[in-house]
This record gives sequence, structure tokens and C-alpha cells, in this order.
Amino acid sequence: MVLQTALLIGLVIFSVLAILLKDLLKSAIALAAASLLLGIIFFRMNAPYAGVFEISVVAGLITVLFILTIALTGAGHDVRESKLVNWVFPLVFVAFIVIDALVMKSLLGKVPALPSGTEAGTFGDVLWKGRTLDLVGQIAVILAGVFAVLALFRKRDKHD
Amino acid sequence: MTNTWYLYLFFAAALVFAGLLGLLGKRNLIKLFIAIEVIGKGISLLLLSTGFAKASILTAQALVITYIVIEVSLVATALALIINIYRQTKSLDIRDLAKLKG
Repeated sequence: MVLQTALLIGLVIFSVLAILLKDLLKSAIALAAASLLLGIIFFRMNAPYAGVFEISVVAGLITVLFILTIALTGAGHDVRESKLVNWVFPLVFVAFIVIDALVMKSLLGKVPALPSGTEAGTFGDVLWKGRTLDLVGQIAVILAGVFAVLALFRKRDKHD
Repeated sequence: MTNTWYLYLFFAAALVFAGLLGLLGKRNLIKLFIAIEVIGKGISLLLLSTGFAKASILTAQALVITYIVIEVSLVATALALIINIYRQTKSLDIRDLAKLKG
């Protein structure tokens, strides 16, 4: 429980750093560190498959994509961020944390959620038999992403 | 179990709020997208922790994996858009996109 809390605190700290750091490269690396911590949290919640996906895909692939974009766009030095945000962000965030700590416990019984029930079978059974339509949707989403990237990097042909 | 669920929900809400603040305050397109990613992390933590608390971790895992696949597709498309915007405007400032002159 203590380790899990420490991991969650680390996750929030790295996520806030990813937003607040001025250097985009450091932001991307902080985001990767947050993903890594989230993956470890998933492992500790008996969800190894989600943990593996989180670490390999989000902490690995998405970070590479971010770093590639930062390299291609020259790190965005031209953008002048508002200085007010650096003061306001921590203050409002701390205020929200206090409100969150006070309110969340009373919300627990009121948030609608499925009733507790024990699941039968393995993860493979649930994914392939219970959520088959999700898998079809995933294939469609990946294809849509591939075609979108192809369309966005299309070269002009001679007739244009 | 309720105490653990409370802890996860508390941190998931903090992550979503941090992402929203980043979306409101930042001007760099890549920074805005990092803020969206942080919100996504909060949502996946919320999904899995609710599954953990309600003893349906397998369904929650399937949902989180679906979300991660969608996230990858979204990131690839959005970063391609950002690169194209940079080529057009030579800037990553979101305010430059408000000028819709051709």
C-alpha cells in the first residue's frame, strides 16, 4: 500500500513536470517516466497485460514519436508561454488537490459503477470472446490512423 | 477495498485536472498534446482501478488495452498534423492558428 501510494505520487509529479517543464525534450522524457510508473502500478494491480502495453507502447513508441516530432519541428523555441501560468498552475493544482481530498470520499458511493462480480476464465477468454467487437474496432482504428498519416504526408503529383 | 479505490480515484482526478490546466494555460501545440496524454493516463488509471475494486479486472484490462491502441493511432495522426502545421506556419504557437487568412 505504501509502495503503491509512492508510485501514484511519482506518477502525478512526473505528469505535472511533463506539462510544466520548458524544454520539450525533458517534457517528453517526464511523460515516458510517468507511463513507466503507471505500467508498474498496473502490474501491481494484477493487470500484467495492461502493464506490458503501457510500458512498451506508451512509454516506448509514443515517446519515440514525440521526440521525432520535437526534432522535426525545431523544439518550438519560438513559442512564448504565458509567465502567469507558471504561478497560477501550482496554486490552482494544490487547491484542487485539497478539494479532491475532501470531496472524493463522499463521491465514492454515488459514482455509478457496475456491481461487483467475480469473473470466470482467463484474460484471453474475456478479450477474444467477451470483447470481440472491441478488437474489430481496434483494427479499424489502426487502419484509420495509417491512412490518415499517409494522407497527411502525401506528396504533390505532377497534375496538381 | 474502498480505501484503495478512493486512493486511485483521488490520483486519477488529480491527473485529469493537471491535464485540463495544461490545456487551458499552454500555447505550444506539442505541450497541449502532452496535456491530453496526461488526461488519458488519468482515465486509464480510473478504468483499471474501478475494475480492480469491483473484481472485474479482466474486462478493465481489455478496455485499457483498447484505449492504448486508440491512443497510439490518435498520437500518430495528431503529430503528423502538428508537423504539417509547422511546415505551413513555421511556428508551434496555437495562437497562429487563430488567423485563418489563406
